[in-house]
Amino acid sequence: MSGLVVLDNEAIQALADPAHRKHRQVVSQAQVVASRKRRAAAIEIVVPTAVRVEAGWDRTSPAWAFPNRLRIADIPLDTARASAAAAIRHRTRVSVADAHLGAVIQSAAPGQVTVVTSDPGDMRLVAGDRDITVVAI
Amino acid sequence: MWYSLGVEAPAAIERISELLDVGGPETSNTSMRIPTALRDAAALAVRELGVAPSATALTTAALRSTLEAVVMQAVLDDHYEHHPQARPDLGDLAVAAAELDGHPLAAEPERLRQAAAEIAVRHPDASPDDVLLWAEARALPAA
Repeated sequence: MSGLVVLDNEAIQALADPAHRKHRQVVSQAQVVASRKRRAAAIEIVVPTAVRVEAGWDRTSPAWAFPNRLRIADIPLDTARASAAAAIRHRTRVSVADAHLGAVIQSAAPGQVTVVTSDPGDMRLVAGDRDITVVAI
Repeated sequence: MWYSLGVEAPAAIERISELLDVGGPETSNTSMRIPTALRDAAALAVRELGVAPSATALTTAALRSTLEAVVMQAVLDDHYEHHPQARPDLGDLAVAAAELDGHPLAAEPERLRQAAAEIAVRHPDASPDDVLLWAEARALPAA
């Protein structure tokens, strides 16, 4: 079964900062993903680009070297996801970043979707009818 | 660590990562030799099970996944070297695995950490999934 692990703003902050109190927790999740990929599991870590903006994650900045090198894929706010995100934002009044995250969840290929987040409630809200696994940090 | 980093290895890891990011339609023929039985198994899996559009696509996806894992592990190992406190132990990894899977034991991290401590005594190379299985078995009521 394929797996998609989506990071929210707080998860990104925790991953990037070794002094963050949740750093080891998010690194542990990255380690599990790396080990599973090594065993040929179809799993990847992604970040919606609007979430990356909210987190201040500049891929050209040396300050973000560690997450930059971890093979975390950008999911862009393309035409289809922008429309989906607009509908989610209209329905739920969440932030643009969370609406983009919801669009990523709802447009994901069949398989398990896991969201690493500090706001489980909003993630379940933006996921709509899509069944997701929420990791609270 | 399942490989050793030489002087040139960090540059190689960076270059591998850059190459993995390159998109586009450019392809190359190779003279790579693979075991005949493996080739036949891949062809059968594609034709009868539809696991990929072609044996080439199947091979490419597997190769990409393996290389991404190599890069990720190298980056994580480098991070652990510079930040030892960030290195997760078996209990941390078992909890993370349970969380990512939505396993019910994710709600009982202390039970998982205890299971990790127990299993590590006899099986130092146990995986997080081994710990989950052990903890799950321990949680079953006796018959």
